[in-house]
Amino acid sequence: MMTMMMMLRVNNGSITKVVWVPPEYGDAIACICSDGSLSIWEEISEDSEPVQWKQCTSFGGPLDQVLDGQFGNSVSSLKLTIAYSNGLVKKPDLMEKSIATLDKGTICSSWNYCGQRLATGLIDGIIAIFDTSDPASSFFTSTFKFKVNNGSITKVVWVPPEYGDAIACICSDGSLSIWEEISEDSEPVQWKQCTSFGGPLDQVLDGQFGNSVSSLKLTVAYSNGLVKVYEILDSMELKNWQLQAEFQNVTDSLAKFGKASCSLASISWNPQRSESRPASFVLGFNSDTPQLNSPKVWEFDQDHQRWLPVAELGDNGDLVNALAWAPNIGRPYELIAVATSKEISIWQMASNPDANGRLSVEKVGMFPCHDNQVWQMEWDMSGMTLATSGTDGRVRLWQSNLNGIWHEQAVIESAT
Amino acid sequence: MPGLLTNSGDSSSIVPYSPTTTTPTVYTLHHGLTSPITPRLSISWSRGNSLRVTVFRSPEPASNSGDDEAGGKVVDLKLSGEDIDSEISDAARWRRIAYGSVAPFAHLQNKKNAMAALAELRHSVSYDGEWSKYVLEYSKQINSLLGSKKSSPPSLIEDPKTVLKVEEPNSLKAAWELLEIFYADKQSHPWIPEQLVDWLSDYDALFSGQVPSVHLRLVEFQAELINMQAVENEPAYWQAISSALAVGWLDIVVKLLRLHGSYQLHQLGARETENGLVEAVAVLVSKMPRMRVDLPSGKLGECYNNKSDFMRAWEKWRAQITKLDCSAFWLQCSHNQTKENLKNLLQILLGNTSTLSSATCHWVELYIAHFLYIRPFTSGLESMYVLAQKCIQLKPVSTHHKLMRLILGILEENTEVVLAECSRSFGPWMIAHATELLTAGSVEAEILLKEERDNLGGISIEESHRLVYAQVLSSHALTWQIAPIYLISCVKHGVGLLEILLYKQPAYHSQVLLKNIEICRMYDLDSVSSNAMKIAGVHHWKHGRKGAGVFWLQQAGDETRLNRIAQKLFDFVGKSISDESFEQWEGLIELLGSESRTAGGLEFLHKYRDFKKSLQQVQDGVSIDAARKAVEALISLMKNPSTPQRFWLPLMYDSLKLLNWQERPLLNVSQTNLLLNKLQELLVARLRPDFVEVALPPEASSSVRVALATNLGRAILEE
Repeated sequence: MMTMMMMLRVNNGSITKVVWVPPEYGDAIACICSDGSLSIWEEISEDSEPVQWKQCTSFGGPLDQVLDGQFGNSVSSLKLTIAYSNGLVKKPDLMEKSIATLDKGTICSSWNYCGQRLATGLIDGIIAIFDTSDPASSFFTSTFKFKVNNGSITKVVWVPPEYGDAIACICSDGSLSIWEEISEDSEPVQWKQCTSFGGPLDQVLDGQFGNSVSSLKLTVAYSNGLVKVYEILDSMELKNWQLQAEFQNVTDSLAKFGKASCSLASISWNPQRSESRPASFVLGFNSDTPQLNSPKVWEFDQDHQRWLPVAELGDNGDLVNALAWAPNIGRPYELIAVATSKEISIWQMASNPDANGRLSVEKVGMFPCHDNQVWQMEWDMSGMTLATSGTDGRVRLWQSNLNGIWHEQAVIESAT
Repeated sequence: MPGLLTNSGDSSSIVPYSPTTTTPTVYTLHHGLTSPITPRLSISWSRGNSLRVTVFRSPEPASNSGDDEAGGKVVDLKLSGEDIDSEISDAARWRRIAYGSVAPFAHLQNKKNAMAALAELRHSVSYDGEWSKYVLEYSKQINSLLGSKKSSPPSLIEDPKTVLKVEEPNSLKAAWELLEIFYADKQSHPWIPEQLVDWLSDYDALFSGQVPSVHLRLVEFQAELINMQAVENEPAYWQAISSALAVGWLDIVVKLLRLHGSYQLHQLGARETENGLVEAVAVLVSKMPRMRVDLPSGKLGECYNNKSDFMRAWEKWRAQITKLDCSAFWLQCSHNQTKENLKNLLQILLGNTSTLSSATCHWVELYIAHFLYIRPFTSGLESMYVLAQKCIQLKPVSTHHKLMRLILGILEENTEVVLAECSRSFGPWMIAHATELLTAGSVEAEILLKEERDNLGGISIEESHRLVYAQVLSSHALTWQIAPIYLISCVKHGVGLLEILLYKQPAYHSQVLLKNIEICRMYDLDSVSSNAMKIAGVHHWKHGRKGAGVFWLQQAGDETRLNRIAQKLFDFVGKSISDESFEQWEGLIELLGSESRTAGGLEFLHKYRDFKKSLQQVQDGVSIDAARKAVEALISLMKNPSTPQRFWLPLMYDSLKLLNWQERPLLNVSQTNLLLNKLQELLVARLRPDFVEVALPPEASSSVRVALATNLGRAILEE
């Protein structure tokens, strides 16, 4: 004979399904209700109060209706899979680990080449460097803090490791300064400024290092639409740079556009470090001059010591928010991701030039952005998966299937 | 490219020729920050499939927020990997499997390469028989990693009082064994039905989570058994027996039959006939002819390893069953339930389809029952597939268990389905290792898996799966070291990914650097290791560990940077040529080596060191020989065109003691003249604007001049 012991109201609507949580996690149930929510309730006695059923958490709701939820009970952890009425299957349990806590006012961050050091930029012009206490540990704590600017830091970029532990900081005042971690004259290790480019009159929007085998190059894009390429003079010093080229992001070298006003620039170097291939990068602007906007691939012509535009990824002049050149582990073509204000597109570019010296390009994937403006794009180390982050606060992962069709593979959203 | 996120439950990324519209899986990120609702995120891939997401709380200045919450969090996400199969969720166990499978995999690849080389040499096709032997050996090794053979139901019944405690079998092993049966173990093809019987007895429990199964029925019955008085009166008892019989768990059947009340001593007299019938059925069950080489101990049946012997025994056995079925003894059996249920068992033995169907729980069990009692032979996969379809019709399921889907894919001879199922349900480890079995299994599969595809950037499906698995391995600090073994087996893109993987290791940790160098040496990746050594060298140099810096740059053969360092030393020596700083850079000069290729400047530094050493001995008051040596070194330095002008005066000033040697002049006339000329040259040079003044006492030049003049006078007198 069973008797009713407890009664509780979990929802104003009706309850459509009740599922018990596996016993290893206590006496608890998940209730799916007619309003589309799934709530988890637990029988618990807290603070010497009598045993009560209390709500622990809830998923979904009227706008995000839950159809079913089931617990999977693996040895190490409890997993909950929820099916939503919009056809999405959500897996709230992702293998995740918090590895660092950032200071207040942090607005940008960048990992070094091996993911062992993190540089973060603060709104008050301070850079904080994070390291692990020992190589085996995976929690990062702040080890250095130094002020680089009176304005705020807008972007941090690591210098390639062949040139030491150094970063370039782009600040709100339009300057790009290079800082290096160094120990001089038996002093303890310090971060010291090596050099600086741009400033209030000559605002830097983006700066990226190209790491060719022989030397270090730095491409800097300015708010007036100019692009400058600098080359390091001494491989052991980050102080001295030589201006190698200065041009506008247009395919026709004769066309000149004055008074361009750019709000964003994106530069992405070809990540391949090969002696046989010329140095190259792709560059696009978010500006009032459509001709400057469309991403163009620039290649260094070693024989004539000049930079040449070898390909253009779309010519409609859409505002470019981000660019990412994929690592190439052996494909016969290059892959470049372009995020404009309208869409994310993935481009295939031939590795070898045609008769006119141009590299043929083809748009192989295109996804409208809707209200989401892409903020950042990153390829994984194999160049198989593209991750994007944007103004919708979600991370999206994109992959190509075996037919070469690109699609959105996963969405990672913040828990509310 | 194939999906990395194969645990997403969305098969499309891995299924070849799938529809193009897919719905992304949604994951939730728990960063623990309360605001804002749509945070600004920054992303960065770490090694492999590990993605680091930085969540920024707000863009307001630090002073504006009064609360104690942090300004942001960084979360590391593993987008696939060891958790791919929920059954292997224990990371340590997963790593054991990952490490354990390296040797069999590498061994098989070596064999493959050796055979290919041999075939090329002989201009002939490789010998298939030999290859299948290796594949089977490989399959068995991998299989043994996935866990030992599971204890099957008999032990449950042996002591009904014991609390049920069976090690849970895992579906990874179950899936691997299926592949082994159908693809790797070609020698045993005639015995496939019996292998499937064994397979089901090991893994029927796995189906229990999703569908009712005979295993579950037996487990439940065992729980009830403790409370049963006269089992033969209970329908559950007979149901358990008939189910166990239908799927061929003969030992359990016989054991259960002997729990029958008629065996009890005090019953024997009264229920003699009944007991005889029970025993007769038990004997028939235990004498069942089996088309197999042998049986594990404890299992019942009589083995026949050739078809004709088996058929004779099978016919004879069935005749005995029919005879018993028609026996007059049944009329004397007063216990109705016993009579009916024993007759039912005979129907199972005789292969009555409807009886088999009601005795089994899901279609795989019915399928196995068919092999046992209706069709003990196979005639190709096609007919096996037709039979499976028939069983599915009789025992439909709403959703197929992943192992059911795998079985169907195999029987259908649809490699794509098998691949998709392996990848979707069992993850990158499975698919990376199972392709060897699939390709050994059929030419069609081999073509499908090894054909190079433009859509994949010119690689085969097999290679793409290995790359994906290598990515999974690369994500973890404890497994990246074994990724190279898989990458190197990828002929087209493997080395490219390996180079990036090695580049992304923190070269300034000496342990990592040494491991890196070792791997590079193994696979002839000289440029990669020298780059790592270059990174380490620059790091040490810039962090004040000059010696280590020079050492690694030398190992890297980085002439450009070594030249720059030599130049720096040179400048440094020029600035402070005092004795105190001598020791500081002496070691470095030693390290930089004497070979002239490392800059002309170094040659000077070496001579300078020799000079300093002998001068030191002179200061220490040793013999005149030391003084003579010092003079020789001085003269050679001053004669050497690579000695920079700004060192001339310091050198001579350092040598004042030699110039003013008490006992006798140490420099002869021509030597003294050489130095005087140099001093003169220096005075002229001083007038030039680019002259670099060295930090020496103001009277230095005049003291040197006086000393030289005195020495000249004494030398002339002496000569």
